[in-house]
Amino acid sequence: MTSAILQAINGVSLAALLFLLASGFTLSFGLMRVVNMAHGAYYLLGGYIGLTIAERTGSFALALAGGGAAIVVLGYLIDRFLIRRTGENHLAQVLLTVGVAFVLGDVALQFWGGDNLMVPAPPFLKGAVVLPGDIYYPKYRFVLIFLGVAVGALLWLLYKKTQLGAVVRAGVDDREQVNATGINVDRLFVMVSALASFLAGLAGVAGGAFLTLYPGAEWEILVYALVVVIVGGLGSLEGAMIGALIVGLLDAYGRWLLPEFSYFVLFGPIALLMLFRPRGLFGREY
Amino acid sequence: MDRPRAVLAAVALGAALALPFAGGPFWTGLVTQMYIFGLLALSVDLLLGQAGLFSLTHASFFAVSAYTVAILQVRYGVPTMLAAPAGILAGTLLALVFGLAVRTRGVYFILITIAFGYVVWGVAHRWSSFTGGDNGVTNVPFPALGGFAITSHTQYYYVVLAAVILCGLGYRLLIRSPFGLGLRGIKASETRMQSLGYRTSLHLYAAFALSGALASFAGVLYVYYNKFVNPVAASFPVSVEAALMAIVGGTGTIVGPFIGAGVVLGLRNWVSSFVEMHHAIMGVVFIATVLWAPQGLVGLAGRLRARFSGKDHG
Amino acid sequence: MAEKAIEADNVAKLFGGLAAVNGVSLAVAAGERRVLIGPNGAGKTTLFHCITGTLRPTSGRVALFGRDVTHDPEHRRTALGMGRTFQITNVFPELTLLENLALAIVGTDRRKWVMHRPVEAFGEVRRQALAGLEAVGLAGRADWLVKLVSYGERRQLELALALNTHPKVLFLDEPCAGLSPSERQRISKMIAALPRDITLVMIEHDMDVALGLADRVTVLHQGQVILEGTPDEVRANPEVREVYFGHG
Repeated sequence: MTSAILQAINGVSLAALLFLLASGFTLSFGLMRVVNMAHGAYYLLGGYIGLTIAERTGSFALALAGGGAAIVVLGYLIDRFLIRRTGENHLAQVLLTVGVAFVLGDVALQFWGGDNLMVPAPPFLKGAVVLPGDIYYPKYRFVLIFLGVAVGALLWLLYKKTQLGAVVRAGVDDREQVNATGINVDRLFVMVSALASFLAGLAGVAGGAFLTLYPGAEWEILVYALVVVIVGGLGSLEGAMIGALIVGLLDAYGRWLLPEFSYFVLFGPIALLMLFRPRGLFGREY
Repeated sequence: MDRPRAVLAAVALGAALALPFAGGPFWTGLVTQMYIFGLLALSVDLLLGQAGLFSLTHASFFAVSAYTVAILQVRYGVPTMLAAPAGILAGTLLALVFGLAVRTRGVYFILITIAFGYVVWGVAHRWSSFTGGDNGVTNVPFPALGGFAITSHTQYYYVVLAAVILCGLGYRLLIRSPFGLGLRGIKASETRMQSLGYRTSLHLYAAFALSGALASFAGVLYVYYNKFVNPVAASFPVSVEAALMAIVGGTGTIVGPFIGAGVVLGLRNWVSSFVEMHHAIMGVVFIATVLWAPQGLVGLAGRLRARFSGKDHG
Repeated sequence: MAEKAIEADNVAKLFGGLAAVNGVSLAVAAGERRVLIGPNGAGKTTLFHCITGTLRPTSGRVALFGRDVTHDPEHRRTALGMGRTFQITNVFPELTLLENLALAIVGTDRRKWVMHRPVEAFGEVRRQALAGLEAVGLAGRADWLVKLVSYGERRQLELALALNTHPKVLFLDEPCAGLSPSERQRISKMIAALPRDITLVMIEHDMDVALGLADRVTVLHQGQVILEGTPDEVRANPEVREVYFGHG
């Protein structure tokens, strides 16, 4: 099995993780016009909380669920008491949520310290797989891919095939439309927001079992998620999927071929997009 | 300028000139930083307060020019006369490239500038063979022009003060010019400006380049003050804080960003003497500003003044 | 035959599946006063947007004095002589009335790029701006911030802005919208007094104003032209009555 293919798998596993984060971010924006820069902090905090749960209970499944659930609660509070007050003022949202992220980051630092921590995953998920050509490859990367695909499929079904999804899609297209149909828009927003938060927390636990958690990780992952959303287009689920794949693969190949310049490799697609399609692949005018 | 403002300006100037003698090295250093970061905040405000574009990448130009000066002076022995302009040029060239972002607006623009900013930080961080990685570039000397060399922080304080005053005057000319008015028009209604004959993206691109040049200049002043530079100078928090300084002090004004720099740096300095969590404190300041003082301190002062004088006119 | 000031050739604009403008052709002669009428949703404003460049038409051609401008961006069309007002007042609230006009005056020339001299130093611009405000009766408010003046005054400013871009063809989108009867009178008088070297294309809901000002009238309904003729012809036409007045 050639290095190129190994790198591709690396890229896709990162893509899976990024998709978890980016999908929530993009749907939040598409439906509620909310830009939440604390998403990275949700990832980190969810991961840390999952870590503690895993250490105390020995259950990875519980950690995943608990990390996600904790962020749902946190996200709801932040949404209700802070983000709501900014209306659709994106500048205010960005500043406010960056502030929230700063606070959450320092809180996390107080409780979990500055060392690199890893969420303990059960042995049957860790270890190595033997690939053709006698190559040992981390099993967990496949776990991430599986998780990403599963969530992606579920979201896709929900979004495209259910009533609820239809309403959300209509809302993304035209909010007045949704209001007019008499559906409780508030509740819809809360649900989508909760889903986004859950996915962020879940991603933190899943990612934290492999990539480690540390102060600053919340910004690094957020930037990647932002690039995914920019490339894919704000508000688009397909965009989040394809954008994640593009970013994940570019990152993997970039690190492999040009390690010192790997960030340039991310820059390339954005610059190209700026020239030819500023709104992203599936984005629309906002 | 009306009487009270003129008096205030004179007092401020007097205080600024007297500071190193009245305040000693601690205050001299702190206020020098306020000037430098105030200038960075001003560069952000050229886009934010005048044109309505919220850029979160200005630390990139700041850092690139700082690194350029540092590397040229420390590694290649290039004198200030060439290194400083080279720094400004490097940062401005980057701004010309990043200016591509003006093909977008609103949220997209914000997110793209964030991503651009990270690219620069990432390069500074990973290209260690050139940038020194996390250690950065150290031992940057004081500037020396011709036979005249700066030898102390006090002397440098006056250099920075003079630079800032000059920049302030230039900025004032710029925002009062037809071009500056055009930016404010674009901020108010881009569609109207287009129907009046303005090629708005080009205007914004020019503003972006100018703003990048100003941020680069701040970067040059910074590296000679700090005597070293590392990837932190290009980091996202620096860009966000620059925006925050402009907002806290009052966007759309000339002194606002400097006042904001004073508040933010002063606060951080004071708080970090008894608490470790300065990021959290910054975070709270962001939140508080957004929720309660979006017009910043200059805005608050303006509202108070209007209330006292009974006028609500212009 | 003299070339037309404005020629729209089979212009269509589709939004998703909906055709807001569905194959409209019209030709306005130089110096003519043309009024577009039609019920709400007829596509009048969308047609304007397609002609002035605010929107790109899905298909069709637009020409200004014989020159194809279909693919020209809005600012280019303004430079070539198209001016317009907006139905929803689109002025600069945080600037003074004088500054608003200054922007219009330098919008089509190089002075807008000057970065080193204050606007006040351009005496000629100030003079023209004051004259422009005078022409719409707003000279007394020159130094007021727009957000502090009344709606009617903003509508007047809207007109002044368009007039000061040196237009050869002026597109007015419901200039009297939301105004009191006396304000309406004033604006219609101003429009009627405009020199004939400016071609006028106007959308107007008020039938009296419309038919009083027009040389020719084009009636739009559901994105298509159903009739074009003199005010009298239109007034007498039963189909128009049905479409326009039938809804009471």
